[in-house]
Amino acid sequence: MRYAVTHRTAYRYSGRVALCHNEARLLPRTTPWQVPEASHLAITPAPALQAERYDFFGNRVLYFALQDLHQALEVEVKTLVSVLPRELPDPAGSPPWEAAVALLRELPELNAMEARQFALPSPFVAPDAALADYALPSFTPGRPLLEAVLDLNRRIHCEFTYDPQFSTIATPLSEVLRSRRGVCQDFAHLAIACLRALGLAARYVSGYLETIPPPGKPRLVGADASHAWLALFVPGHGWVDLDPTNNCAPDEQHVTLAWGRDYADVAPLKGVMLGGGSHTLEVAVDVEPLEA
Amino acid sequence: MSDTMAEARPMSDPLAELLADYPPPAANSHDELLAPDGVVRPGWDYVLRELAALGFDGLAARHGEAQRLLRENGVTFNAHEASRSVARAWSVDPVPLPIRGEEWAALAAGLAQRSRLFERLLADLYGPRTVLRHGLLPPELVHAHPGFLHAAWNSLAEGGRWLVFHGVDLARASDGAFVVLADRAQAPSGAGYALENRITLARALPSLYRDAPLRRLASFLEAERATLTRLAPHKHEAPSVVLLTPGPDSQAYFEHAYLANYLSLSLVQGEDLAVREGRVWLKTLGGLRPVDVILRHITDAWCDPLELRAESMLGVPGLLAAVRHGGVALASALGVGAIENPGLMPFLPALCRALLGEELRLPSVASWWCGRPEALEHVCGHLGELLVHPLGEPYHLIDGAGLNGLGREVLIARLRREPARFVAQQRIRPATAPVLADGRLVPQPVTLRAFSVAEDEGYRVMPGALAWVSPDGRAPVRGGISKDVWVLAEAPQPHVSLLRQARGPVLLTRDGADLPSRVGENLFWLGRYGERYDSHARLLREALQRLIERGDGAAEDSCLEDLLTALELELGEVEAGPRGRFFALRRRFLGLFDEGAESGLRTTFVACLRNARAVRDHLGDDAFRALNRLRQSLGELPSPPSNSAGRNALDEHVTLLGAFFGSCNETMPHHYGWRFLDIGRFIERVLNTVGLLRLAFVQARNPGVPLWEVVLATTDNLAAYRRRYRSALYPSAILDLLLFDEDNPRSVGYQLRRLGRQIGRLPHPRSNPYRSAEERLILQAQSVLGLADIEALAESVREVGIGRADGELAELLERLHAPLLELSDAVANSHFSHAETPRQLVEML
Repeated sequence: MRYAVTHRTAYRYSGRVALCHNEARLLPRTTPWQVPEASHLAITPAPALQAERYDFFGNRVLYFALQDLHQALEVEVKTLVSVLPRELPDPAGSPPWEAAVALLRELPELNAMEARQFALPSPFVAPDAALADYALPSFTPGRPLLEAVLDLNRRIHCEFTYDPQFSTIATPLSEVLRSRRGVCQDFAHLAIACLRALGLAARYVSGYLETIPPPGKPRLVGADASHAWLALFVPGHGWVDLDPTNNCAPDEQHVTLAWGRDYADVAPLKGVMLGGGSHTLEVAVDVEPLEA
Repeated sequence: MSDTMAEARPMSDPLAELLADYPPPAANSHDELLAPDGVVRPGWDYVLRELAALGFDGLAARHGEAQRLLRENGVTFNAHEASRSVARAWSVDPVPLPIRGEEWAALAAGLAQRSRLFERLLADLYGPRTVLRHGLLPPELVHAHPGFLHAAWNSLAEGGRWLVFHGVDLARASDGAFVVLADRAQAPSGAGYALENRITLARALPSLYRDAPLRRLASFLEAERATLTRLAPHKHEAPSVVLLTPGPDSQAYFEHAYLANYLSLSLVQGEDLAVREGRVWLKTLGGLRPVDVILRHITDAWCDPLELRAESMLGVPGLLAAVRHGGVALASALGVGAIENPGLMPFLPALCRALLGEELRLPSVASWWCGRPEALEHVCGHLGELLVHPLGEPYHLIDGAGLNGLGREVLIARLRREPARFVAQQRIRPATAPVLADGRLVPQPVTLRAFSVAEDEGYRVMPGALAWVSPDGRAPVRGGISKDVWVLAEAPQPHVSLLRQARGPVLLTRDGADLPSRVGENLFWLGRYGERYDSHARLLREALQRLIERGDGAAEDSCLEDLLTALELELGEVEAGPRGRFFALRRRFLGLFDEGAESGLRTTFVACLRNARAVRDHLGDDAFRALNRLRQSLGELPSPPSNSAGRNALDEHVTLLGAFFGSCNETMPHHYGWRFLDIGRFIERVLNTVGLLRLAFVQARNPGVPLWEVVLATTDNLAAYRRRYRSALYPSAILDLLLFDEDNPRSVGYQLRRLGRQIGRLPHPRSNPYRSAEERLILQAQSVLGLADIEALAESVREVGIGRADGELAELLERLHAPLLELSDAVANSHFSHAETPRQLVEML
C-alpha cells in the first residue's frame, strides 16, 4: 500500500513564549517492509535552528528551536510512504517459549545481542510480578512462543476496554491492569511488560493505522490518530510486530514511525519552553491511501 | 613553679611519647604508620619529627585552629546550616597521610591508565559499541545502569573528549596494595576540599608545612584550567568557561564556589544559561554573552530537561542539542555516568587488553555481576561478606552482613528474579592510619579519592588526594573526618598558587556588565534581608532591654505595645494574675527567636544566608566570615533564650551585620553587583524609617517622649541627637534629623539621594532615552520630600505631644511610602531576567 500521511500538531499559549526547544519523531523510518518517500515539513513560526539526526534506536529525530516571541506553534509533517505486506512465520513452528528465553541469552548472533536490552525494565515499564501472573495462562509449559504471544494479544484485546477517557500517559500499568481499561499505548506497554516479566525482549512501536470507513460511508479526513503497538524478538527469526488494540499482527495498514524501549523513547513531539502560561493542543492525523 | 614541674616529669623522648599509645596492626590488617613488627614505615620521618616537636598539646591547639578556619570559611557539607540543628562541619585531621614518591608514581600510572581505558570505553559505548558486539561486555550490564544515557549516543564529534575529570575511590587492602572501590565521573567532588584542607592546615601548622618535602597541588589545578580552555570548540584567545552548579542547596556548593574562584570561572546556575543558535549563552546585566566550555557539577541526568530528565529545574533546555551542534563543550561530557557502573569492574582486565592492548595495572575490589549464573551463585552463598548494589539505585547499598535470616531470603529472591540488576562487591576493611582523637593518635580506617584530568595526551593525576575516615570505604553522606594526603618529593617544592601566577592573556573588564542577572538579584535580596534582620534586631533589642530593666513593671511600659506593632506582633492572650501581662509580652518578643516563626529572626536570616551563599564568589572572605559568625551565634542560641542572652546576642548580631556591610563596602568593587546590594539594603532601610516615623507620630497608642527615645535608639541616632540638641526631645527636631537631614545616613532624605544615585548608574537599555520606572519612583519620593511644607509639619507635630498628628505629617508619610513600596518590583522588572522556569509541552494522544 501507498499512503499520504499528514500529522498536524497545533499549540496555542495564553502568554507569549520567548524560547522553545523541541524534538519531533514524526518522520517514518525505513525498514525492510516500509519505504518512506519525500517528507514535507512545515513549522510555523519558522524555527531559528533545525537539524535532523538518527537516535540510538535508529529513529529519525528532528530538533528545532524557536527564539522569537510567539503565541502559537504549528508542526505539520506530510509523508508519502509505501508499506509492503509482511509474512507472519508459522506460529506452531516457533520454539517453545522457555527455549526462546534461554536462546536470547545464548545465541551469539548480533541481532540477539542488540535485542537483549529490550528485555530490561524501562521508564514506563517497571517490573511487576502481577504482570507475569497475567501473562502465564497464555504461556503454558512448552507452548510455541508465537502461539503463546498471539494468545496474549487476543486476551488483551478481549479482556480490556478501549477507553480514551480513562488513562493519561502518566497512568501506571498496575492501574490499567486492575481496571482493564486503557488506550493503544497502555495495551502496548502492558504486553511489553508481560513479555519482559517472562524474560523475553519486546519493544514499543509508534506509528499510524489506516482506518477503513464503515461500508458506504466516506472516509473522514483528519479523523485518524497516532497509534502504538509492540514488537517481540523471536530468536532465530527476528522481530515480529503485534497489535493488541486490534488483535492482529501489523501488516500493510500499519505505518511505522519509530521504536524504542517504551513511549518515552519515541514521543512524537516534545518540547521545553520559557514563558507561555497555559496551553491548548490540537492534533489531527490523516492516513490517506493512494492509488498504487 | 615551672622548674618544679619540669623536675617532676622525667625528660622523655618526644617521638616515643607521640607513639606511646599507638598499637601495631592486628594480624591480617595493614596500618599506614606501623609495620606488623611495630617499626615505623618509611616516609613518616619528617611528619613524625615535626608532630613530636609540637607535642600533643600543641597539636591539639593547632587542630582547634584548623577547625576554626574551616568553620569560618564556611566549609561545610550540610545544606541546611542556618537551621538550629547543629550543622555537622567537615573536619580535618592535623596528621597528614604521607605516601612515598615511588609508590605514588606506580599508583598514578595505574590511575592514568584507568582514565584512558574509560575514555576509550565511553567512546565505544556511545559510538560503534564493538565491546557489546564482540561479547566483551554483556548488554544487560550496560543498559541496566541508569548512567548509560541513550540520548548521549553519538553526541560528541570525532576527537571530542568524554572523560575530562575522573575521581577514583581507593583503599589499601589488608596486604597493603591499593584497590579501586568506585569510579566517579559525572561531577567528582573533593579536589576543592583537598586544596582547602591543604591551605587550612598550612596556615594552622606552619612549622609542619613550611619546609615539607611534598608535591604541591596547585600545578594540578593549573592543568585543569588549561584543559578547560583547550576544550573550547570555537578557538579564540580567551574562551569563556563557566562552572555550572545546582546552587546553594547542593551539598558540595562550598566546593563549587571555591573552585570557581580559584580557577577564575563564573559560577552559574542553570537558569543563568540559555541555548540559542545552537550555542550556550550567559544571561548578564549587559545582555547575552557566549559560553564556550561548561565545567559542570550537575549530574548527567539533570542537565537537560528536553532530552534527559524532564522534571529537572537545574539544567539547561537544549544543552545536548548544543553539544551535538558543536556549540559548547562540557567537562565531562554527558553520559560519562556509565562508567560509574560497579558491575564493570570484573570486566576491566579483558577490556583493558582489548581496548588499550595493555594489562590493567590497578586492580578493583573483587566484584560480581549477578547476571552471570556462576557469579549469582557465589553472591547468594557469600552475602555476609558482600555489599550489594542495585544498579537502578546508585545511592542504595545493601550490606549483606547487616541482614537477618529473613532479610537474606528476601534479597536472594530479588537477586534470582532480576539478577542483571545487581552487583556485589567484597566488603573490605581499609588500612588504618593515625588520627588525632582525644589527645592521642588512634588508628582509623581511611579511604582516598584520587583525581585525574585529561590532557592532550592521556591524563594527569593530582599529586595528592582527599582522604577520609570510613569503616567500609564508602563516601561520607554528611560531615566526617578528612585528611591531607602528602605525596612525598625529594626536596621541598616551591609554592605555586594560581591566584598569584596567572598565565595567558587576560581580558580586562571593569564595568561588571557581564555579571549574571541572577547574581544581581541575589545581591539585591541579600541587601534587603540583611537590613531587615538589622532593623528587627534593633527593635527587639530595645524591647528586651526594657523587659530586663523594668522586670514585672515592664507590663506598664507604654512603649512595649508600640514595639509589638513595629515588629508586626500581636499581644494575643494574656494570662490572669499580676504577672500575666509581663509573661505574655516576654513570650511574644522572645517568640521571634523561634524556629520557623513567620518573619522571625531565623527565617529572615535563612533568607539572607541563602542569597549570600548563592553569590559566595562575589563576597570577600572577611565579609562572609562575619555572616558565618552570625550563623553560629544564632545556631547556638536556645529557643527561646533568656531576656539577657537574647539581648546580648542581638548586640553581637547588629555589630556583625555592621561588619558585614562595612566589609562589602570596603572590598567589593563598586560595580553593578555592589550597587544592587546597596539598593536592596537602602530600599529596605527607607521603608523601615518611614514606617518607624509613622509609628511614632501617627499610629502610636502611647505617643510621647519614651517612644521617641525608642525611635532614636533603634536608628542609632540618640547620640547624634543629644550632641546636636543636648536636651529634651522635640518632635520637630527629630523629624529634621530623620526626614530631611541629607547628611544623616539614617534620614529618609539621605537614603533617597543614595538610591537615586545608585539606580541612575545601573545599566540602561541604550534604546530607551526616557527615565526608567525606578528612576521615576525615586524622583516622585524625592519631590514629595522636597516640596514638604516644613512650617505646617512643625505645626502638625507640635500637637503630637498631647495627641496624634493627623493632617500634614500623616499625609506626607503616606505619599512617601507609596512610591517606595513599588520600587523593589520596578528594579526587579528592569534588571533581573524574569527567569521563568522552563516547562514541558505535553502532548496527549
